[in-house]
Amino acid sequence: MALSKDELKAAILEKAMTAPKPQLYVKDFYACDPDAKPRDVKNAANDLVKEGKMDFWSSGSTTMYAAKGRAKDEEHR
Amino acid sequence: MPKHDTPLLDELEKGPWPSFVTDLKRQAEKKPECFDILGQLELSFKDKITHWKHGGIVGVFGYGGGIVGRYSDVPERFPGVAHFHTVRLNQPSSKFYSSAKLRDICNLWEKYGSGMTNMHGSTGDLVLLGTTTPNLEPLFYELTHDLNQDLGGSGSNLRTPECCLGRARCEWGCYDTQDLCHTLTMHYQDEIHRPAFPYKFKFKFSGCPNDCVAAIARSDFAVIGTWRDDIRIDQAAVKGYITGEFAPNAGAHSGKDWGKFDIKKEVLDLCPTECMWMEGDTLKIDNSECTRCMHCINVMPRALRPGKQQGATICVGAKAPILDGAQFATMTIPFIEVKKNEDGEFAEVVEVIEKIWDWWMEVGKNRERVGETIMRVGLPTFLKVMEVTPAPQHVKEPRSNPYVFWQADEVEGGWDRDVKEFRKRNAQ
Amino acid sequence: MGYDPANPMADRITDIGPPHYEQFFPPVVKKNYGKWLYHEIIQPGVLMHKGESGDECYTVRVGCARLISIELIREICDIADAHCDGFVRWTTRNNVEFMVDSKAKVQPLMDDLKSRGNKFPVGGTGASVSNCVHTQGWIHCHTPATDASGVVKAVMDELFDYFTSHKLPAQVRVALACCLNMCGAVHASDIAILGIHRKPPMIDHDAITGLCELPLAISSCPLGAVKPATVKNSAGEDIKSVKVNAERCMFCGNCYTMCPAMPLADPDGDGIAILVGGKVSNSRSMPMFSKLVIPFLPNTPPRWPETVAAVKNILETYAKDARKYERVGEWAARIGWEKFFEKTGIPFTIKSVDDYRLAYDTWRTTTQFKFTSHIK
Repeated sequence: MALSKDELKAAILEKAMTAPKPQLYVKDFYACDPDAKPRDVKNAANDLVKEGKMDFWSSGSTTMYAAKGRAKDEEHR
Repeated sequence: MPKHDTPLLDELEKGPWPSFVTDLKRQAEKKPECFDILGQLELSFKDKITHWKHGGIVGVFGYGGGIVGRYSDVPERFPGVAHFHTVRLNQPSSKFYSSAKLRDICNLWEKYGSGMTNMHGSTGDLVLLGTTTPNLEPLFYELTHDLNQDLGGSGSNLRTPECCLGRARCEWGCYDTQDLCHTLTMHYQDEIHRPAFPYKFKFKFSGCPNDCVAAIARSDFAVIGTWRDDIRIDQAAVKGYITGEFAPNAGAHSGKDWGKFDIKKEVLDLCPTECMWMEGDTLKIDNSECTRCMHCINVMPRALRPGKQQGATICVGAKAPILDGAQFATMTIPFIEVKKNEDGEFAEVVEVIEKIWDWWMEVGKNRERVGETIMRVGLPTFLKVMEVTPAPQHVKEPRSNPYVFWQADEVEGGWDRDVKEFRKRNAQ
Repeated sequence: MGYDPANPMADRITDIGPPHYEQFFPPVVKKNYGKWLYHEIIQPGVLMHKGESGDECYTVRVGCARLISIELIREICDIADAHCDGFVRWTTRNNVEFMVDSKAKVQPLMDDLKSRGNKFPVGGTGASVSNCVHTQGWIHCHTPATDASGVVKAVMDELFDYFTSHKLPAQVRVALACCLNMCGAVHASDIAILGIHRKPPMIDHDAITGLCELPLAISSCPLGAVKPATVKNSAGEDIKSVKVNAERCMFCGNCYTMCPAMPLADPDGDGIAILVGGKVSNSRSMPMFSKLVIPFLPNTPPRWPETVAAVKNILETYAKDARKYERVGEWAARIGWEKFFEKTGIPFTIKSVDDYRLAYDTWRTTTQFKFTSHIK
């Protein structure tokens, strides 16, 4: 049984705040709900960015996610 | 910001090719931060090393692409370029512009940026080079509100799609590259602006097998125009080439005397399938043998045209060498009609794209291009995912090793056997 | 109204995409869309497309740097306004195309372009060296092994005569990428100029803790050469960091992309490799990869004489020897790569023998070869 969208978002945010490494790939969130489709997980994670709870972190070629304030950034070092 | 001495860069103001140094100096009169661009570049020329650092979280709110963060590693010497972020604007399909639109973009960039651009970046975006973090949101506001434009892709997003100019000014466009490019760009705005995938994903659209946007070499999803009926021949124009009335290859060889045009040597003998011959002064083509390489059409554009039953071949998985080595895109869908439905969508193309994505999002590893995923799992698995009937066209030649991964249900009786029963018949 | 910093999300517009292309078409393009009959190159840099309607579209193609200022774009707009109903386009190879709807309008346009010094060279059509596509280099990139705009300017100055003429056996596509990432894909170019690193990354143990996620740095290495390690930083504290097995390093820079505490760029280590014989078009032969023929040339700003000479030598040897229509890669395949090295005088080194993945594909597994000076 897949989680509801709100439950999925809560699980993603929990993982983003507690995972040992701050930056996570979208695939790292797939485990938050093994029954969810990759696209639903991606959409939920992107929603959390829109809500200001997570940030995108980009190497230019790769984009990762981080809970607000956790990622390392040039201007905030 | 003061002017810096640039003796090394000044050497690049010499010579007949347009000089970006002269151009930068001209721009610096209005945008003094360009003096610092020149100053830092001069330092790189002296040190033989870059002085840029990468920056991670920079972007406009809610977008995971379109801005690439960049910082100087010598900001105290060149404060004008301390922050120097890149802004990627999604270019209009095939890069036609009105001067009014370009002037609007120039004015916006004069206000918020360095005044320097790339026309265009490698993926096709109109790239604005060099702005600060505080300028990003106001720039984006005016870009969307006043210029009716948007950002392109970067990171693990769908990258800004790109197409050849196709039917706008070329007689060989076998489908409407610009319409497909624009329609899919609009359809996939979310995937362009927000990360969705294990890694980058590129669409490129070429109207014919000449492939002027290099789709087969650099795009994960390459749609390349082709046809499946007969090359159209104007026999009178063929004679025009033979008699020398028309220059071969549209005049592309006019700078050297290559002698009189010889249709046998220059067309028939260079045909890779040898499917053309002359009967008297009539050109014959065995179209069933033709592989649509375009050579004969390129050489005699007034006489030969692609057939009328037009569409495209879809190839999947090209990429530059990082990491496993360069890959060309693998021919996957031999022929697809590229047609819009009544809703204005290219539904059949969309279906192919989403089959790839649904699978790759699940199976692809982090930072693995789809071509590498296909390489890792094998083309047979990918063809099954795509629900494509395997055909000899999918390979250059059949495999030369016998190591077929048979499945239990393909073998009579399956794989469950009883070793005790076996031993009753076959002693140890 | 306008942007309100106190309320940045007010009236936010997103996901509107690019403007529709059709509004930017010159009238002759709009009218004849999808109804073009044939084309001719009436002189180097000038194309004529004939429509089924009998209309003609004349295009004047000019070379252009990829790095250009808004001042120059405004000048291009002035030209478009004066001659082309205010329309202009860019090609995939960074050329600018001005289009007019009659032959009579071509010469005034060409005269105007010529009056502006060397800013707008006409050419890049047919059997020429078209514009050299390239990446950012030292002007804006954080991972380059060489500059881009500077090398390209020096190369195009030297090949200028081939840009403005039609005297080659076929079109020659020259491209530059300033590191192995190839954000500009040069791996299928007739002549590719590629920035390479040759020193393994250094590790800044004092900065790595604050700058990098170690698992990302470790997993970024294609050859597993980056391993976790406990080391002492300069304060004498034990910290978790990484070590690099230098013998396995392929100098790709992936680790530096994921971890800025692992810089590998170096004034002496970095330089340029030359790859030859790639093509994208399906014309005659299938698309081909470029092959490594010169493993290293030093970075010698401001004009990179070694690289310029190497490119010119390959181009001119090909121009002299190849048959009409033959691309560089088709020529080399016909004469054999042993002959390519002999004719160009490029020393063959073991660096051109592949030992990466899929290497076997390039090894010779036949007794057919030519006896060149390489066989003593």
